Amino acid sequence: MEKELSMYMDPAYYTNRELSWIKFNERVLSEARDKNLPLFERLKFLSITESNLDEFFMIRVASLKDMVHAGYTKKDLAGLTASEQLELILKQAHELVNQQYSTYSRSLLPALKQNGLEVVVSHEDLTKEQGDFADRYFEENVYPVLTPMAVDSSRPFPLIRNKSLNIGALIAKKDDPEKKVDFATVQVPSVLPRLVHLPDGKDGGKRVILLEEIIERNIGQLFLNYDVICADPYRIIRNADLTIDEDEAADLLNEIQKQLKMRKWGEVIRLGVQDSMDPRLLKILKKEFHIQGEDIFRVGGPLDLTFLMKMYGMEGFDHLKHPSYKPQPVPAMMNDDDIFTQIRKGDIFLHHPYMTFDPVVNFVKQAAKDPDVLAIKQTLYRVSGNSPIIAALAQAAENGKQVSVLVELKARFDEENNIIWAKMLEKAGCHVIYGLVGLKTHSKITLVVRREEDGIRRYVHLGTGNYNDSTAKLYTDCGLLTCSEPIGEDATAVFNMLSGYSEPRKWNKLSLAPLWLRNKFISLIRRETSNAKQGKPAHIIAKMNSLCDKEVIAALYEASAAGVKTELIIRGICCLKVGIPGISENISVRSLVGNFLEHARIFYFLNNGQEEIYMGSADWMPRNLDKRVEILFPVEDASIMKEIRHILDIQLADNVKAQILQPDGTYVKIDKRGKNLVCAQEYFCEEAMERAKEQMPAEVHSERVFVPAEPMD
Amino acid sequence: MQYTLFGAIDIGSSEMELKIFELSRGKGMREIDCIRSRLELGKDTYATGKISTEKLEELCLVLNDFISIMKSYKVDAYRAYTTSAIREAKNRTILLDYLEKKTGLKIEVLDNAEQRFLDYKSIAAQANEFNRIIEKGTAILDVGGGSVQVSLFDKDSLVATQNIRIGNLRIRERVAAMEHMYGHFEELVQEMTRSELQNFKKMYVKDREISNVILVGDYLGGLSKAASLSIEEFQKIYDGVIHAEPSAAAKQFDLPEESISLIVPTLIICSEFISAMGAESIWMPGLNLNDGNAYDYAQRNRIIRAGHNFDDDILASARNIAKRYQCSKSHVKIMENLGLQIFDRMKKVHGLGSRERLLLQIAVILHGCGKYISLSDPADCSYQIIMATEIIGLSRKEREIIAYAVKFNTMEFPYYEELSRETDLDRSEYLTVAKLTAILRVANACDRSHKQKFENVKVSLKEKELIIQVDTPEDIILEMGLFAEKAAFFEEVFSIRTSIHQKKRM
Repeated sequence: MEKELSMYMDPAYYTNRELSWIKFNERVLSEARDKNLPLFERLKFLSITESNLDEFFMIRVASLKDMVHAGYTKKDLAGLTASEQLELILKQAHELVNQQYSTYSRSLLPALKQNGLEVVVSHEDLTKEQGDFADRYFEENVYPVLTPMAVDSSRPFPLIRNKSLNIGALIAKKDDPEKKVDFATVQVPSVLPRLVHLPDGKDGGKRVILLEEIIERNIGQLFLNYDVICADPYRIIRNADLTIDEDEAADLLNEIQKQLKMRKWGEVIRLGVQDSMDPRLLKILKKEFHIQGEDIFRVGGPLDLTFLMKMYGMEGFDHLKHPSYKPQPVPAMMNDDDIFTQIRKGDIFLHHPYMTFDPVVNFVKQAAKDPDVLAIKQTLYRVSGNSPIIAALAQAAENGKQVSVLVELKARFDEENNIIWAKMLEKAGCHVIYGLVGLKTHSKITLVVRREEDGIRRYVHLGTGNYNDSTAKLYTDCGLLTCSEPIGEDATAVFNMLSGYSEPRKWNKLSLAPLWLRNKFISLIRRETSNAKQGKPAHIIAKMNSLCDKEVIAALYEASAAGVKTELIIRGICCLKVGIPGISENISVRSLVGNFLEHARIFYFLNNGQEEIYMGSADWMPRNLDKRVEILFPVEDASIMKEIRHILDIQLADNVKAQILQPDGTYVKIDKRGKNLVCAQEYFCEEAMERAKEQMPAEVHSERVFVPAEPMD
Repeated sequence: MQYTLFGAIDIGSSEMELKIFELSRGKGMREIDCIRSRLELGKDTYATGKISTEKLEELCLVLNDFISIMKSYKVDAYRAYTTSAIREAKNRTILLDYLEKKTGLKIEVLDNAEQRFLDYKSIAAQANEFNRIIEKGTAILDVGGGSVQVSLFDKDSLVATQNIRIGNLRIRERVAAMEHMYGHFEELVQEMTRSELQNFKKMYVKDREISNVILVGDYLGGLSKAASLSIEEFQKIYDGVIHAEPSAAAKQFDLPEESISLIVPTLIICSEFISAMGAESIWMPGLNLNDGNAYDYAQRNRIIRAGHNFDDDILASARNIAKRYQCSKSHVKIMENLGLQIFDRMKKVHGLGSRERLLLQIAVILHGCGKYISLSDPADCSYQIIMATEIIGLSRKEREIIAYAVKFNTMEFPYYEELSRETDLDRSEYLTVAKLTAILRVANACDRSHKQKFENVKVSLKEKELIIQVDTPEDIILEMGLFAEKAAFFEEVFSIRTSIHQKKRM
């Protein structure tokens, strides 16, 4: 099988995943540039591009740097070595950053001013009155928390924290006849708001200035006996990932372990400065951080644009934001039955955030209280602070239920958060499993075992998104509540496996990574291929976050070459190329970047008319298929299948947010002229509201006629 | 709906397993959960004769987990069984006590014949399929870690069952020691099993035609989605596993990789068995001891009614043993009729149950087998034969009860203090021996001449007297004469007098 696929594995057929990721961030940026969007939404998107880029450098660029240091020469699926990739990435990253700042300065700042919010760009521009305010603010709020540090022969260069914003200055002793110049630095305190409100203008317009400008204005206060020659902000990104990124091959890990010394822990991999920085100051930073060339980003505006998210939160600008959407009740659950009765009536499909996440929370809550429930088992990956699910699980354990929770500690950036909750659950008497050695548990599954009158019944929730009630308002995800016996059996087996027991002798419905899922996907794709070869209709629709698995892509090429119509909806990275003659002409790729983060994974296969639809937690990425515990589950209820097909169809019809991948690797929006505008996310919002409304109990009848009861026979 | 939640635990030689079942009249047996944990206890036992402390500690950990899982299901009952890995361990008494103290779990050690009978019950629980298959000549191969059990069915009755010590774990360990010197694993295993199976064939199969083979054992169920296979399909699986890298085989058949080392010998044994029997089709129902355990529990507690009479299987295998030792069929028939009638009439007096009735029946069937060896000392020979011959479905102790009843049928009956020096039967088991012996003696006395004079008898209990009324034109002076001695013992045991009345024909 692999032999046949190898003809589709020519590196020329693949896009490097990092370059594809930058393309994704460009699409997010294009939202910030879209004048059709409410102004404050655009701020939000610009802020997202910045935090995305930080993470990208900390993890992906850092990883590539590790490879270069380790002398690792293996090429990626597009045939590039690590250093070749770095070169291309940095070139494109610089372009992206330039675009970020031109968007900020040329487009957003003027528009904000027009709408009554003035950002005072530089402290030199402050009026006398504003300047006095800023100085007072500095004295009262800022000065007490600053720790200026000078560098000289007796004081070494201080440790600059990752992602922190700092101001570097060149200073000289006032009475020093030689005018010897020293370097000094002070961190812009992260405990204070970055945006400082200045007094409103006479017209009532709001004015803000950035904290670092206020510090710069008062920098003399910090070095009283010195002359400050220049002061400029700077920011560094360090190689922060303490473990090798799971996406990399295991042999890389060995390589690096062998050469542990080679690895520079916390190495500075990116330096951000303003383009106005004094060259003498920059020279010192370059020397101290061992950084040069393309790793230095000089920008024409404030460093670290993530403050825009705070600006988005400012009060008084609601008219410049999307009206907030309230997740709607689930029609199948708008009755007085308890949740178990509702599920027994038939599988329930959940589409977040259009539908509320409450049923999922209630599922655990009710199970915790229900006297017939014997056990609750759940995997938790990223949990919100103050999660009601955690509270319910703890409650269940206290109520004497058997509660098993798999808490994934390896969830990136969330480790600490997870440990706190896990400890709390343990205290409450839950059986907590702290992940599996070598595997991240990414699957989202909850099992409730209930002892009912007619036997043991299992209720299962399977989802594409995390059990996080906060992100469920922002991420589009799908879920299924079911008490199907075969799925219940499999769910039990999943938890037995996660608890360290042997795998089951057979699976009924679920497919699991890392053991079985890859083969499952490949065989589903190849079934379409063989149908196409026999002249039968063949069609694949797949929606996911990222596609970068070589084998899966090769299988898709093979399918396309055989004539399988393949429509992919991929928000982020896509290493597949469209339009390669004879290889991928039947494949289309579209990306939706919208107000909500597209997060669901849905897979549709025509299967010669016997349609099959699957959903799950896994992308078509090597890490999902090989290094994680993931679950793929089939949707078998006919009406739910229809509903999901409808969701895919609407997403495929979107011509507002969708961007289409071109053969040259760029993404372009659809020409809307003469077309009915379809924005999938808005469509689903409205649809969910309508459906909920239909299901609302009709207004109490206004008939005022009393009906006398008939006498009983 | 009324249902019982039942936990079945199997402490096997390579794996421990807990199954949770929902047992009900309406839905029968429904498996709710299955938790398996790998632990090669047999590796210790078969190599050193003991189970190491490390393994024992691990066993405790897993058992405690099993207990908490059973608790979480609030099971109504459980039965924990262990088989050859602990049965054959020299330190079994000590370690069972330790396990019980550490876990609170009551663990029963199954004798091979009991274990195989439960395995067999698990298959028979699939009533429809099973009954269809055993219409034709069928051989069952039950592959365990320490040994295999081979059973033969002919026209839906069990005709023979034998235990052969070629279990997958035992074979693997034994061959592993030689493999590096002599090379090929497959050939070594084939050679080891072939001769054993040929012996079995010569002795039991003879010219019977075997068309079906049923394969039972851990892992076999996972190899094929369909339970019914043709020889070719089996061969394909065989080649796919034996002639592939373990990891590739594991991938292809969705098996845990670590189990391949046991599946390989299992398949070789199966393949040898199939060709030895010359079967045409194969059935692999994928069941194991825990299924049999639950089924047996459900049946005994009258939750499920069995479609198949398992006592008949036990009797059938007893009759086959009797046949091998050329016991007199007609004599047995008379005695069975008489013995069981006495047993049934005396129910209130002896207080024994249906299981003891079965033991009596087997004692009757086998009471003369020792004559095959020695006419001067048949009692002791019968005793030795019964003690050395496994009877499927009976525990070793049950066999011992039968063997003693048979022995004391003609030899002097010793009192408890005396007998307990040579056996570990407890008081109540001793009393069973005494009661069965008393009935057996009376029944035997009535057909002393082996001339079936007592073909038409009626037994009735009147107050303190058991009357055996016989309707025969023949002269029964011999029987009457010898009867007094036997009746004395009967009276001693039951405080009931017995007498023979001959219905005189006019």
